[in-house]
Amino acid sequence: MSVAMSETLTNNGYTDDLRYEVFNREFMPHIDSMYNFAFRLTMDEDDANDLVQDTYLKAFRFISSFEQGTNAKAWLFRILKNSFINDYRKKSKEPSKVDYQEVETTYNSEEASDTTYTVDLRADAVQELIGDEVANALNALPVDFRTVIILCDIEGFTYEEMAKILDIPIGTVRSRLHRARNLLKEKLKSYASSMGYDS
Amino acid sequence: MNASLNTPSVTEEAQNKTMKHNCEHRAECMKIIQAILDDEATDAEKDHFRENMDKCIPCIEAYRLEKCIKDSLSLKIQKKPCPQSILDTIITKINS
Repeated sequence: MSVAMSETLTNNGYTDDLRYEVFNREFMPHIDSMYNFAFRLTMDEDDANDLVQDTYLKAFRFISSFEQGTNAKAWLFRILKNSFINDYRKKSKEPSKVDYQEVETTYNSEEASDTTYTVDLRADAVQELIGDEVANALNALPVDFRTVIILCDIEGFTYEEMAKILDIPIGTVRSRLHRARNLLKEKLKSYASSMGYDS
Repeated sequence: MNASLNTPSVTEEAQNKTMKHNCEHRAECMKIIQAILDDEATDAEKDHFRENMDKCIPCIEAYRLEKCIKDSLSLKIQKKPCPQSILDTIITKINS
């Protein structure tokens, strides 16, 4: 692998034709997933448009660092996530945005009390919820928790792929996902209660 | 499925008497249930799940809830197609 990596980094093996071919074959099929990920991160159509464009242009520019045969979707999601953190989150003045480190500290410290945590929510009540209500509950989560649920439950990434996309250990993926799901249950419970589905 | 849950059969009622109504490993079981649904469970977690899941009512309910939420997220949330204008801009820019 190190030989392949160094070849990729030095010579890259990418001719101009190959760059376009790989871009079209490996990257373009994921554009709808990328757009939805961008929209769920930014919660804004214009920002989502810009984020997807920026990500694809970066992907093309740095295509030589994409190792053919590896997971293109995870590679693209990682670029999009980094662009979001570096370029979009900084601009945001939204007070609910939470720093990654801060989130990590918060839920790690709460993990002990989290172990006995349950939300009084029934599966039948969740079945009654329509897509928009589920989406609203998801969107109400802090972005870091929203992200792991999107990656796992909507996009179907493995924990290992999520760890690479988010630059965190697999154990942290597991615990963050666990915490995110507890928070989501609270939000779903609120929706179910307000709709009278849980009575 | 709902109908059978609402009106348990005689056999189910008999089984209920031998089932656990409280889970003493709640936190651990929740992690295992999520790992099973994510297809990420270790062999030990799968063994624990197989041995205990049909005996513990809180775990059965938790499994149903977690599965329902996961299915709702993947199936109910609308996925929008990427606008054609973005595709056009990307293609124009990489060709320029």
